[in-house]
Amino acid sequence: MGKALYEQTILHDTDLQVLSMHDDDLSAENNKYFPTEKFKGYGAAKSNFVLAAIKESFKKDVVILSHINLLVVGWMIKKRNPSIKIYLIAHGIELWQPLSKLKQLLLKVCTKIIAVSNFTAQKVVSSQHIKINKTAVLNNCLDPFLQKPLLKEGCHATAKKYGISYNDKVIVTLTRLSSKERYKGYDIVLKALHVYKTKNSHFKYILAGKYDENEKFYIQNIIQQFQLQQQVILTGYLNDSDIAPLFALADLYIMPSSKEGFGIVFIEAMFYGVPVIAGNKDGSVDALLHGELGILVNPESVQEIENAIEKILQNPIAYKPNQLLLNNNFSYNTYKEKLYNILVQ
Amino acid sequence: MVKNMCTLLQHGGPDDEGIVTFTENNLVLGNRRLALIDLTNNGHQPMHYENRYTITYNGELYNFATLKNELWQLGYHFKTGTDTEIILAAFAQWHTDSFSKLNGMFAFAMWDNKEKKLYLVRDAVGIKPLYFSTHNNGIAFASEVRAFSPIPFLRQKNSSTAIYQLAYGYIPEPLTTLAHVTQLPKGCYITYDTNTQNFSLQSFLYFSFSNQINNYETATQSINKSLSNAVQRQLLADARVGVFLSGGIDSTIIASLAKQQNPNIETISIYFDDENYSEKKYQDIVAKQINSKHEAYLIQETEFQNLFPSFLSALDMPSCDGLNTWFISKYASSLGLKAVLSGIGADEMFGGYPSFKRIDKALTAQKLPKLALQLSDNTALKNYRRASYLKIDGIRGIYLFLRGHFTPNQIAKHIGAYDTEVFKVLEAAPNSPNLLSVTTKNKASWMEFNLYMKDQLLRDADVMSMAHGLEIRVPFLDNEIIDTAFSINDNIKFDNNVPKKILIESFNALLPKKIWDRPKMGFSFPFANWLKNNEMVQSLSFNTNKNVQISYQQFMEGKLHWSRIMSLLILNNKNY
Repeated sequence: MGKALYEQTILHDTDLQVLSMHDDDLSAENNKYFPTEKFKGYGAAKSNFVLAAIKESFKKDVVILSHINLLVVGWMIKKRNPSIKIYLIAHGIELWQPLSKLKQLLLKVCTKIIAVSNFTAQKVVSSQHIKINKTAVLNNCLDPFLQKPLLKEGCHATAKKYGISYNDKVIVTLTRLSSKERYKGYDIVLKALHVYKTKNSHFKYILAGKYDENEKFYIQNIIQQFQLQQQVILTGYLNDSDIAPLFALADLYIMPSSKEGFGIVFIEAMFYGVPVIAGNKDGSVDALLHGELGILVNPESVQEIENAIEKILQNPIAYKPNQLLLNNNFSYNTYKEKLYNILVQ
Repeated sequence: MVKNMCTLLQHGGPDDEGIVTFTENNLVLGNRRLALIDLTNNGHQPMHYENRYTITYNGELYNFATLKNELWQLGYHFKTGTDTEIILAAFAQWHTDSFSKLNGMFAFAMWDNKEKKLYLVRDAVGIKPLYFSTHNNGIAFASEVRAFSPIPFLRQKNSSTAIYQLAYGYIPEPLTTLAHVTQLPKGCYITYDTNTQNFSLQSFLYFSFSNQINNYETATQSINKSLSNAVQRQLLADARVGVFLSGGIDSTIIASLAKQQNPNIETISIYFDDENYSEKKYQDIVAKQINSKHEAYLIQETEFQNLFPSFLSALDMPSCDGLNTWFISKYASSLGLKAVLSGIGADEMFGGYPSFKRIDKALTAQKLPKLALQLSDNTALKNYRRASYLKIDGIRGIYLFLRGHFTPNQIAKHIGAYDTEVFKVLEAAPNSPNLLSVTTKNKASWMEFNLYMKDQLLRDADVMSMAHGLEIRVPFLDNEIIDTAFSINDNIKFDNNVPKKILIESFNALLPKKIWDRPKMGFSFPFANWLKNNEMVQSLSFNTNKNVQISYQQFMEGKLHWSRIMSLLILNNKNY
């Protein structure tokens, strides 16, 4: 969003100011998205942040609140400058459940609520008593600085690291593995793979991402229970540069989550040409274009998940996502144009 | 039409002309070439590549040998020795990601005949200009504003030209003298889709301040190394390249480094016979020390008066400066040089201007109540007269206070408007950022680098040198040295007493003490006296506008700087 706003503001010769309550100035140093002079961090000095936000907004036309927690600041800004337009970003579950009466009242200060998916927009309408015309949908997009896709043949080192042999099919889930928010569905995938293994055991399941100790224990228990020790690899934290090789080796990306606001990781996997399976009960529906780009499953149904895995692994090439469709919907340029249209409406 | 546009720019590209037409896509690209690398007809432009890409390109790529090698290893082969072909191959390989790999000064249009897209690209410092318009669907672009005159629907003028000129002394980017033509922001490219007629802008490179270098010795070593590399890169040419030698610190460093690279380096200076203005003494010291082939050119009043009308017609957009660059470029060109190195950029990055000292107080004063600032417009105290500019928020308020020309009140009188109208125009555009996270001294640096240098110095340098078919190269603005300068902690980068101390200490071994430890010159040029004798200037005394007459009187009495009278003269004599 920073890059999109920066480029729109230079094109239209207007100003951009990015303020952050929790980060400090250093956190924007050397970022690739916008020059650091556009950024000011308040390093958790909350009152300084609030005062600066109100002052800086006084002569501005538009304020974007990046989180519901900033709604009160938005309300103060509006008091000081009534003609300003205020937009709130709805990322997902933080706006799925009805908010307190006070927060619902504060929501009225917003010109529009920008939801990262149509699914989230619908939830906002139904839970927060917001009219549909007070919402807008702006799907997340592919990072313009994503590493370009690699050829599978060039990723021997990664294959070796994870013990992948030539005729193994590779299934990937990339997410933070947290015992506190257990909605990504990898535990159900393990159950489904237990069934799938009876038909074909030449596969590896790479569960990639940082995990906490509790979650590691929980997952390892399931692995043992289903005897998937030969198949499952927990990678732990991955660097940005590890992502492209991982996806180059993958035949399938699977994450039947149930509380995803949108699911950037799906469009990233698809950008690398990997077929995807996602849940049909959250924002993932947007990311997969209602199934046009991949297979949507009931995230609670082991049977459905197992069927989908089998279908794709029989012929992964046939399920490669349509790159043109992906680009038309989720490219950075599409995002930038949509964002601009929302803000100037 | 494009042929006419090319003809209007032939002064900057005397060596060749080319026009290509893509009838199906209603696209015509034109080019006037000034040949510096591969002087054969191989460099003819617009240049085609692999039956897919076509480029029309203005500028110079300094890292082309490195890129060529990288591309060669990827299997590319080259038919010419030009940097133009490298840009084409880099685009074929990396597409728009190639732009951030280019180290140099450039403005170009790249046509992709497969995608049916046109890309307009401008370097990250804004050294080379690229004006464009998307008015009336379609897209038009050129290196100078005058080139748009053959296009009937772009002739509408910017009605605020006089306000900007009298406030700034030039027209600030992205504005131009034409209502529908703007300057492409530096480090950005425009993608124009000929099928949909949609266009979008993307940024590909910018420089930001950081505190990565905190050690003084590391800083001076890095400055020394990166500038030496830059000079080495920028001396690459198949035609003769010289160095402008003013007698100051920056040009002395450049000339000394150039001499190390090229034993036959030529240095060029201008000087005046009036001792008060002449820097000849210092120029001679340097030329002697480095033992360069030195040419010094005496400008006398008669020549000045004779050539003044040619200078005026060389101006593209109005500017109160550029006279000296016009003269020295003329001289360099007459010596047969095709390019010269100049010291632009050092003052901005290393603290060579008074603004680095004054900005602190200006920032404090900007916080005063607006009414107090308004009153200052009529004060008799010269230093505070422009304080009303501080009512403008952000860095432009500071800039106009420190560097502005006429006060808003004077401007209003000159153009017959109210002060409020003047403020409204200046506040509306260009955008005036606050730079909240930038330290005070770096704010001054940002302001000089992004406003004064880019909008006035670099533009004047480009227009005035191109008027003589000469290229000015600016080694201080090489990507490597900017990266270095911007990463030095401002606590060690700027000294409160000695301007550019860190630069001087980085080149201790090269700089004669007489050059850095010398009395300050008041005015560098005797132009004020000469302009007083100039007929065109004198005719301002008969101007129908009473306030122009008053300004003329003040100028004659020595109460108004010559650059201000230049602004009035240009606005009166050229039809902007």
